[in-house]
Amino acid sequence: MKNKKPISKRLKENKAYMEERIGIGESFDVGVRELTILSEPIEVYYCNSLVDSLLVTEILRELMRLVHEHKKVDRAKDVIKNHLAHEQVIEIKTLDEAVDNMLSGLIVILIEGESDGLVIDVRHYPGRQPQEPDVERVVRGARDGFTENIIENVGLIRRRIRDERFRTQILRVGERSKTDVCICYLKDVANPGLLKTLKKELESIEIDGIPMADKSVEEFLVKQGFNPYPLVRYTERPDVAAAHILEGHILLVTDTSPSIIIFPTTLFHHVQHAEEYRQTPVVGAFLRWARFFAILMSLFLLPLWLIIVNNHEIAPDWLKFLGPNNHKYHIPITLQVLIGEIGVEIIRMAAIHTPSSLSTALGLIAAVMIGQIGVQVGIFTPEVILYTSLAAIGGFATPSYELSEANRIVRISLILLSLFFGIPGFVIGSTLFIIFLARVKNLNTPYLWPFIPFDPMAMVAICIRTSMPLSSTRPSIVKPLDQKKMPRKKRWRSE
Amino acid sequence: MSDSQDLEQNKQEYQYTSNGRVALIGLFGGLIWGFIGYIAYLLNFTKYGPALTLDPFTSLVQFKNDVVKQFMGLFALMILSIFIAFGYKWILGRVKTMWISIAFGIALWVLVFYVLQPWLPGLEPVTKLDKNTITTTLCLYALYGLFVGYSISFDLSANDNDQDEKEKADSKQT
Repeated sequence: MKNKKPISKRLKENKAYMEERIGIGESFDVGVRELTILSEPIEVYYCNSLVDSLLVTEILRELMRLVHEHKKVDRAKDVIKNHLAHEQVIEIKTLDEAVDNMLSGLIVILIEGESDGLVIDVRHYPGRQPQEPDVERVVRGARDGFTENIIENVGLIRRRIRDERFRTQILRVGERSKTDVCICYLKDVANPGLLKTLKKELESIEIDGIPMADKSVEEFLVKQGFNPYPLVRYTERPDVAAAHILEGHILLVTDTSPSIIIFPTTLFHHVQHAEEYRQTPVVGAFLRWARFFAILMSLFLLPLWLIIVNNHEIAPDWLKFLGPNNHKYHIPITLQVLIGEIGVEIIRMAAIHTPSSLSTALGLIAAVMIGQIGVQVGIFTPEVILYTSLAAIGGFATPSYELSEANRIVRISLILLSLFFGIPGFVIGSTLFIIFLARVKNLNTPYLWPFIPFDPMAMVAICIRTSMPLSSTRPSIVKPLDQKKMPRKKRWRSE
Repeated sequence: MSDSQDLEQNKQEYQYTSNGRVALIGLFGGLIWGFIGYIAYLLNFTKYGPALTLDPFTSLVQFKNDVVKQFMGLFALMILSIFIAFGYKWILGRVKTMWISIAFGIALWVLVFYVLQPWLPGLEPVTKLDKNTITTTLCLYALYGLFVGYSISFDLSANDNDQDEKEKADSKQT
């Protein structure tokens, strides 16, 4: 505190300090407007790229009206404060606060002879309207999604949880960027231990800025190492976010990012999708099983097929029909598969960068040219195309993009292992893979819960999507203070 | 304080079912890994499916076909697995590292393939087994041990933590 410069009673000193510190006159988007209100000189500091000019005009007009009322007043500041036509007005004592606020898009009013400044929230950030997020589409249901604006994002959650125990605590991260980070939780439900850890970790982040917002914050909070698997879940849907808050999770909203981090997360958070909860329970459960099957397919189908091809003599009789029965291919099968894998990855990356007007052409080239012609000229056998595509489609059916990428890496490792070491390679590789995932613990949460360690009830909730009235308890892994979801009144009645 | 009463209720319920949860862990451990073992058997990764549990009795009962035999074996494995789970709870339940659980699984494999081998007429000595069978069964036993052991010790330690927190909360309120 001792380094902070207090607001001087002499406006000239303040102005000199501000001009030097934030470069008024050098930068085009910061400025100061000098007025005389009630025979006191005042200065209005603003950052015109972040303020709502209409609001500022409105406020200034009200102040200028005071000029015409030639009444004698004791203290100009009180009258001015009284006439600020806005609900959010605070007083500050130091010029450092003035600088911070001004650069966040608030306006600061300094008055001659006063050591307090007035700050008015007239922020208007450039941004877009809420729209449906691309990666989490549903057939029915809410079409709004988070935007890059932290206020709007918290508002979208608050609109779904009007509970007075819903808390939104804001912190600042980044020495230069001063990015706002907001922790959202239910006060009487969320695990206080986790909350404390998160706050401590966030406060101890020391960095210039976090332009990659949530991702950078995540890397400070969880220790990723060489683990390709996503350790936190992101969502861009306010309804998913609200559902997780009600379950007792803690959410992290970062300004400038439309993705919200959900804590704590296990692997099985990444295999669920909002769409399952928009359908009837039976359909939802079916969708989920199909999805599980797709994920397992993306992991194990290719290596298993390769094992059967490469060890044709020990393949079981009922699988002998598989595989290329025409052995006249020129490139070894495993090499073909690896080329195919990398090919799919290249096509996928190309599809991301390609503008949508050209994507049809890209799809045509990918499907016809590469697939069909590749087989005709003898580079690929048809089987390779089939199984590589099946694995790729399994990857696309994985709800979490991060998870599908991690699965791809594991799949390629399993392919290489089964190429070099045959069946033992595949089996030991898969075992080590499961042990590795079981060993991962982020923020004290076992990553494979509720499978390893096994929790029967939670596993049932994951395997079949239960209907809302029946899912009355919160998942125990978030260690909620209150385990029951139902309001207390209803619970008593049913007992 | 109605809040704390509610919480205590929940916890009593939780403790009461602790043994039931151990039984369920054993049951599902047998089911899941036995079934994966059956798939491995179908794919010829290993010579022995879950029917190995019925091996001492094969001379007494005749099964219609192999599928029925394997599923009966799977069923027997699930029952047997419940006892193994309780055994783990009493002997190693308080050990918190998961490596002990994996070692427990490997110890089970040694028990079956070396110690119990003379009593299992269908099981060849380890020296005569091919490397596919050895690695596959070893991995399955290790994963089974991990599943059962880690689940039980996690369950027990979660219970302990809950009790600690409850005591803390109680002392705060008084």
